[in-house]
Amino acid sequence: MALNQPEADYELPCGRSLDGLWERLDAVERGRADEHELTCPHCSTALRGLGELRAATGTLRAERPRPARDLTARIMAAVRAEPRAPRAMLPVDAGRPGRTEVSDRAVAAVVRFAVDAIDGVRARRCVVRATGADEDGTTVVEGRLAVTVTYGADLSRLLTVVRRRAAAACTARVGVRLAALDIDVADVDER
Amino acid sequence: MRPGIGEPGAAAALDDETLVARARDGDTRAYEQLVRRYQGPMYRLALRMLAGSGEAEDVVQEVFLTVWRRLDQLQDDSAFVGWLYRSTTNRCLNVLRARRPVADVDPDTTATRRVEAQPESAAELNDQVAALLKALAQLTPEQRACWLLREVHGRSYEEIARIVRGSTTAVRGRIARARAQLAEVMRPWR
Repeated sequence: MALNQPEADYELPCGRSLDGLWERLDAVERGRADEHELTCPHCSTALRGLGELRAATGTLRAERPRPARDLTARIMAAVRAEPRAPRAMLPVDAGRPGRTEVSDRAVAAVVRFAVDAIDGVRARRCVVRATGADEDGTTVVEGRLAVTVTYGADLSRLLTVVRRRAAAACTARVGVRLAALDIDVADVDER
Repeated sequence: MRPGIGEPGAAAALDDETLVARARDGDTRAYEQLVRRYQGPMYRLALRMLAGSGEAEDVVQEVFLTVWRRLDQLQDDSAFVGWLYRSTTNRCLNVLRARRPVADVDPDTTATRRVEAQPESAAELNDQVAALLKALAQLTPEQRACWLLREVHGRSYEEIARIVRGSTTAVRGRIARARAQLAEVMRPWR
């Protein structure tokens, strides 16, 4: 029995505590009750109650009542209806007539998707912000990306690939130039 | 890393921290995976706290919406589950506090009626569990919360102390009292 347990609140008339009996329940149920536990009416009554409680608790724990099937949909409808913080809009194809803008979050999502496609890396947080425009009018962005990597991966090679793919995706899929990408390796996956 | 637990059909098993980080970026699909992963345990906690499935669903819905709104305030992505438990527990306690005037009129029959109101109680529960649920309804809401978090949801004393904003000593005391009271009620059963 642990010595640093707080003093038991519940003492039986025989002097034993309910907490102590709770910890003895395994031993008792395996037939290893001590002399006192076998003969003391207070202890045996209490042990019976604790045994019933433990059995019922096990059954309760195993039960998995489920919420209504559409609960997820209801939650997500409410979540999607929430107003979000205003997004920063980045101009795309600035040189052409008609203005196209893309949100910083959309660019971040493109980067995450591109990085997820690489073996051994998984994107977490990604934040992108515009820093200006090229001489030909292309919007230039910088990003910060948190990733987890698979244990044992060649980190420097992997991060080079991450930067290259992220930049390629920004150019090909959005039309902005990713000039710099800070990468934080947040964790190592053990599988 | 922890794979997706519980709910079958969960999509690719991304770990919680990755999903939380993405959700913070506004990725609703990542958040949906977290909802699917944890709505079950939160629902079961609320169901046992409130003994009513409709109210339990309302609580779960409010919890996930509030957590979504406040994701930016979460300092440590790995603390997400603890945050869900805290939020669910507190909301249940608030619901019960709001209910109290009704319960004060006649605590015995009120509690019994609530237990019977559970749709599952008739067919699915065995008598022993039904007796336990009835006994649970007699505990104070705070005792019930501590006992459920420990004995059904397997949270540590330290974690429960953070959830209910108390000391671990107080939590141990509440659980010991709850156990004594429950065992007392369970004893004559069978």
